Amino acid sequence: MIELKAVSKEFRLNRRKTLRVLDGIDLTIEAGEFVALLGPSGCGKSTILHLLAGLEQPTTGSVTIHGQPPAELRAAHQLGVAFQDHALLPWRSVQSNLELPFQAAGVPIDRARIKHLIQTVGLQGFETAHPRQLSGGMRQRAAIARSLALGPQLLLLDEPFGALDAVTRRHLNHELQRIWLDQRSATQQLTTVLVTHSVEEAAFLADRILVLTGRPGRFLREYRVPFMRPHTVEHTRLEAFHRLCDELTLCLDPDTPSGSPSSSVEMEA
Amino acid sequence: MRTSALSNQYGLLGILLFFGAWQMVGSLHLAGPSVPSLTEVWATYREPWKLASLGRAAAATLTSAAFGLCAGTVIGTGIALVAHLVAPLRSGLDQLSVIVNAIPAVALGPILIVTVGRDWTPLTLAAIPVSFVMYISVSSGLRSANTRLQDVFQILGARRFVRLFYLEAPAALPTFLSGMRISVTAAIVGTIVGEWFGASTGLGIVILNTMLNFQIPLMWAAVLMAATTSLTAYGILGVCQRYLQERFS
Repeated sequence: MIELKAVSKEFRLNRRKTLRVLDGIDLTIEAGEFVALLGPSGCGKSTILHLLAGLEQPTTGSVTIHGQPPAELRAAHQLGVAFQDHALLPWRSVQSNLELPFQAAGVPIDRARIKHLIQTVGLQGFETAHPRQLSGGMRQRAAIARSLALGPQLLLLDEPFGALDAVTRRHLNHELQRIWLDQRSATQQLTTVLVTHSVEEAAFLADRILVLTGRPGRFLREYRVPFMRPHTVEHTRLEAFHRLCDELTLCLDPDTPSGSPSSSVEMEA
Repeated sequence: MRTSALSNQYGLLGILLFFGAWQMVGSLHLAGPSVPSLTEVWATYREPWKLASLGRAAAATLTSAAFGLCAGTVIGTGIALVAHLVAPLRSGLDQLSVIVNAIPAVALGPILIVTVGRDWTPLTLAAIPVSFVMYISVSSGLRSANTRLQDVFQILGARRFVRLFYLEAPAALPTFLSGMRISVTAAIVGTIVGEWFGASTGLGIVILNTMLNFQIPLMWAAVLMAATTSLTAYGILGVCQRYLQERFS
């Protein structure tokens, strides 16, 4: 279980000014849950992810994972991460990039697991390719595979498909859910926090969606996604799915006049 | 590709023009007897005993320069690693390296003659500028790894040395080689200056002796040999660097 209690985060800009990016964040995430943090850019959602990874310390409040600080989870190599930019080592092949988590953890390289992951993300045949030889979508697949290599308890996804075109992105969202379900059934729990500004992505992938407002970031609303897993294309065509997306869009941009037809247009924004 | 081919052509044209101008100045005696023509200098290489003694001298200079290059690279890289891993030492080591580099080689020469001896002075004077250049280039190379990649290593729970070995060191390879590339000419210059303080053999000695004995074509032959050697080494390292640049960035 992950708990953020009364967390705020300030960054010092210069001697006089500080910027408060998060304020009064309370959040509890159950083991095995898939939570999406949705908000406009600059609302501090990536900062929450950095706090969970222990890359930043909260200014006030506390962040605990199973009752311990995030650094413990990191030291136990139980954390997986995928960023918007793939962050693969450019001088290593796909295979070799997937070996990195094992080397970082100082454990023997599990080649069978790497083979399985490469198949799961659909990169078989590209094991020896280097990142620059792959398309943007394929790089993200490799990054997702790497994030799962050690079978982490907590998976952090920071806009993993944010730089891709809409078609590839939708396709990879379906893939991600399949991979996620596959991994979760294997490890029993794969708690996941996804940061995104795509309403559809959040509604399709998550169990629970938290909407943040900008500067300083606060939780505005919380939605439970009412569909059973696995979520399918049929779900995305349901009236309820569209209503959820409309509501989320409205939350993100409260200035939009209610009932305006433009809300569906902004779905990808 | 096209522009690089074009600039290569211009480069070749420039070299030809330079040699043409040299030949003209020399054969017309425009600069007096101290600038012989290219063909006169070339004739020096065709006299067996002169070529042999030039070869021996070049071998001695190259050996000193090569050892100086290796020693300087090891020292500079070592200090850069220490500064990288032990953050509090960084600014002190930065200043120290700048101070050491600011002392002119000509001022250090006599000190080295009485401390390390005349046979080790060329090597030492080669190693000092090399270690400075390598310190600067390796330091900046180690810091060049993308912050996202640093985040990934931290999140994976990688230890400090794992991060150094798998991320920072590979990321520093291209700047390491460009440092070597600059160092190689500095090593040859340092060696020749070192030899002037009284080494037993070397291109620097040949240059000095021929100047004092007014053997002008031989002097030019020695200078040309030193320049060619250093440009060749520079070129070879340039090819290696380009290969690594493509692979590691």
